[in-house]
Amino acid sequence: MMLFYFQRLIEILPFFLKGLWMTVAVSGISLVLGTIFGLVLGILRTSNNKILVGLIGTYVALIRGTPFVVQIFIVFFILPEWGIQLDAFPAAILALSNLGTAFICEIVAGGIKAVPKGQWEAATSSGLTLFQQLRHVIVPQSMQTILPPLVGQYVLLIKDSSVVSVIGVVELTRVGWVTVVRIPEGLMVFSLVGILYFVISYPLIRLSNRLEEKMATQKVML
Amino acid sequence: MIQFNGVNKWFGKLHVLKDIDLQVAAGEVVVICGPSGSGKSTLIRCINRLEKFQKGELFVDGTPLHDHSTNLTKLRAEIGFVFQQFHLYPHMTALQNVILAPINVRKLKRAEAEELGREKLARVGLADKADSHPSQLSGGQQQRVAIARGLAMAPKIMLFDEPTSALDPEMIGEVLDVMVKLTSEGMTMCVVTHEMGFARQVAHRVIFMDEGRLVEAGNPHDFFDNPQTDRAAQFISKILTH
Repeated sequence: MMLFYFQRLIEILPFFLKGLWMTVAVSGISLVLGTIFGLVLGILRTSNNKILVGLIGTYVALIRGTPFVVQIFIVFFILPEWGIQLDAFPAAILALSNLGTAFICEIVAGGIKAVPKGQWEAATSSGLTLFQQLRHVIVPQSMQTILPPLVGQYVLLIKDSSVVSVIGVVELTRVGWVTVVRIPEGLMVFSLVGILYFVISYPLIRLSNRLEEKMATQKVML
Repeated sequence: MIQFNGVNKWFGKLHVLKDIDLQVAAGEVVVICGPSGSGKSTLIRCINRLEKFQKGELFVDGTPLHDHSTNLTKLRAEIGFVFQQFHLYPHMTALQNVILAPINVRKLKRAEAEELGREKLARVGLADKADSHPSQLSGGQQQRVAIARGLAMAPKIMLFDEPTSALDPEMIGEVLDVMVKLTSEGMTMCVVTHEMGFARQVAHRVIFMDEGRLVEAGNPHDFFDNPQTDRAAQFISKILTH
């Protein structure tokens, strides 16, 4: 019996590794895009422009307040009605990086708001432009607050990438579904799926915890 | 150098500066004092437009600050500002604090800027602390780094907002010494402080503010020994007994 299980495992493993690769690709690209756009929107969210701040706030609330599966259906099934036809892979990237952007925007905005007002005033007074103030004074300091939850958000993003299986992207979860139709060992199949997600998430969870500890001791020093 | 004409400022409904008229000449050292909430900090924060004001005119080095098209970034590079709480950049060393603006605003090369920075740190007596982070420095040392940071931009005006109020008593002297040295070099300075010794020793003029008004101005000896208004007399007796 064990041998039989093991043989099956060997047979399906390459298929699973392909799925794992797709999960890494979808979530990897999305978290890079989400980080870039989230950083930009997060900085703009702390600006003095009330209209801009309001618009970003509304966007973030909409994305955070609706289920991801609904968002991905809208991207994949509704956007084509308005003439935007996307394949499953780009649709998955669009939806997931959009989700990442909304959450990371809030993390970044929170980090920037946590930098004391005096730091802005000192940087302003010395004649630095707004961009220079952000780049040299504000953002480096806000990283202390931003990094631990940011890495935590990456873990959530990787797990949320499983939802893109619903539009047919053959990533890890989809591989699980496809496999379980052909072979009856559901427990084995989804245990394997779970383990593979865990393998990529766990190092990030550790990293997030490490960063949190490190930042906590640094804060005491400041 | 600095000219206030009928400047008024409100924080919401609170009228914090009322019809301020004031001129500060180049090379002049002006000490501004008054009870807390009198608007003295707000007044000097207007000079580099950390605070906006709603009415009146303010010219700094010929630049109209009431004009919305004024390039504030350029103006601020010419004005050093020293805060009560120092506000050094905690993630940088003392030297990096001092040279950040010279590199980015004055576009100095790093080597030039470091030479300049070390020179300014030496001037405030902290040549040996160039590589220390603010968290490793005492309050007095941090404030002296902050002054060096201001001086590194070769400013035309230095503004001090209660520079010694957050310091332990034994550290006040070292900061005041640096400031006194600056006055002897002809720097235009506006200093919000209650340090009477400093005012008597180096101020050309003392200005007393109360409830957003400029109540009294005069040379330090007249002001402290023979105040013209009751409010000023009360205030002086309080800080003297304190």
